[in-house]
Amino acid sequence: MNYSLDVQDNAVVVRVDGRVDESTWQEFSAGLSEAVRQAGKAGLAHVAIDLSELDYMSSRGLRVLTVAKREADESAISISLVSPNQVMREILAISRYDKLFAVTDSIEAKE
Amino acid sequence: MLVRFWGTRGSLPVAPTAATIQRKIVNALISADGRTFDGEADARRFVEHELSFAAGATYGGATPCVEIEAGPSYFICDMGSGLRPFGLDSMKRNEAGHSKTYNFFQSHLHWDHIMGFPFFAPAFDPEATIRIHAGHPDAEEAFRRQQEEISFPVPFEWLRADIEFVQLTPGETHEVDGMRVETILQHHSHGSYGYRFTDGEGRIVIYSTDSEHKLEKMAVEAEFITFFGDADLVICDTMYSLADSVSMKEDWGHSSNLVAVDLCHHAKAKCLALFHHEPTYADEDIERMHQETIRYEELTREGPPLDVICAYDGLEVRL
Repeated sequence: MNYSLDVQDNAVVVRVDGRVDESTWQEFSAGLSEAVRQAGKAGLAHVAIDLSELDYMSSRGLRVLTVAKREADESAISISLVSPNQVMREILAISRYDKLFAVTDSIEAKE
Repeated sequence: MLVRFWGTRGSLPVAPTAATIQRKIVNALISADGRTFDGEADARRFVEHELSFAAGATYGGATPCVEIEAGPSYFICDMGSGLRPFGLDSMKRNEAGHSKTYNFFQSHLHWDHIMGFPFFAPAFDPEATIRIHAGHPDAEEAFRRQQEEISFPVPFEWLRADIEFVQLTPGETHEVDGMRVETILQHHSHGSYGYRFTDGEGRIVIYSTDSEHKLEKMAVEAEFITFFGDADLVICDTMYSLADSVSMKEDWGHSSNLVAVDLCHHAKAKCLALFHHEPTYADEDIERMHQETIRYEELTREGPPLDVICAYDGLEVRL
């Protein structure tokens, strides 16, 4: 699993590839916390997580999203899941996480 | 080793209504589309092979009770309302010469897991021995209390079987009539315990229900992965979707189908039985959850396939 942080369209964008699972969830969690911190520091109200290049995300990764959302909520920062590929669309539907998070086709779509 | 499910529903017993049965019959007739059947066996083949399980049957509505057949005495996990039919069935087996020793293992003492005991007919047999194993020190109090007059007309003292309460300790290995039994403390109101049963031939069954895997304690799931390790069958609490388990139903003490699959994958378990079904779910809801869980297992599989089955009242799994 690799991730990067960037600022685009008034949002901190998290790009992640590989697998978020038992062995990588803690690193991913640290990355999301950093993204929320950066957004707060820069006065940005949004974090977008790009899921287009992920192999898959297990329940560990999904639960990390919830932890990040709680951190973000405390600073009135919203989190959206952007461009999930077909596997991630299925996982979001099966887990019902598509009911907990805004899922968009592009970062701009959130605006 | 044979695992027999007598009760698979969580929290509260449920039963299909007249409308539910009518809907199933109507849908079956529509699916038959005017065809005729060459006798009962042919009709049964149609129901079993051409209708979905939810359309042609039901997952049942009795609360948890699971029998593990392995050796001369009985091994039973929990005493939900499924205990009543087990008790009656065991009396028939006793007439045929089965040992009258019943070893119970309680996940915990909440109502849905002990409500079958006042209706457990072998408790009135003076030749029966009943050992109730639990991690809780207050198990006997819970069983006696539910038969006090304010709740039930037959007091505990009237029971004629030899009844013993045995407290088990997590981290220790207990030998019970040829079965190796280990237990683990789980997160649930008043605590619950999971069990790992290993028979004389090394077959392993895990019973882990009413167990919440907390969002902020994911690191301790390693203990459960070890506990589930190399199991032939893991019977696991899969009451909620993952989203429900971390939102409106957080702290309700239950787990999700996705966490169960992940734990089993990492534990290299062979088979996962979805269990403790949400009582508000119709058969179609449970079947959908089963299909989705199979798909999630496929999407996240890295090692050998995990067989995902869905427990129902009456299911038998031979290991």
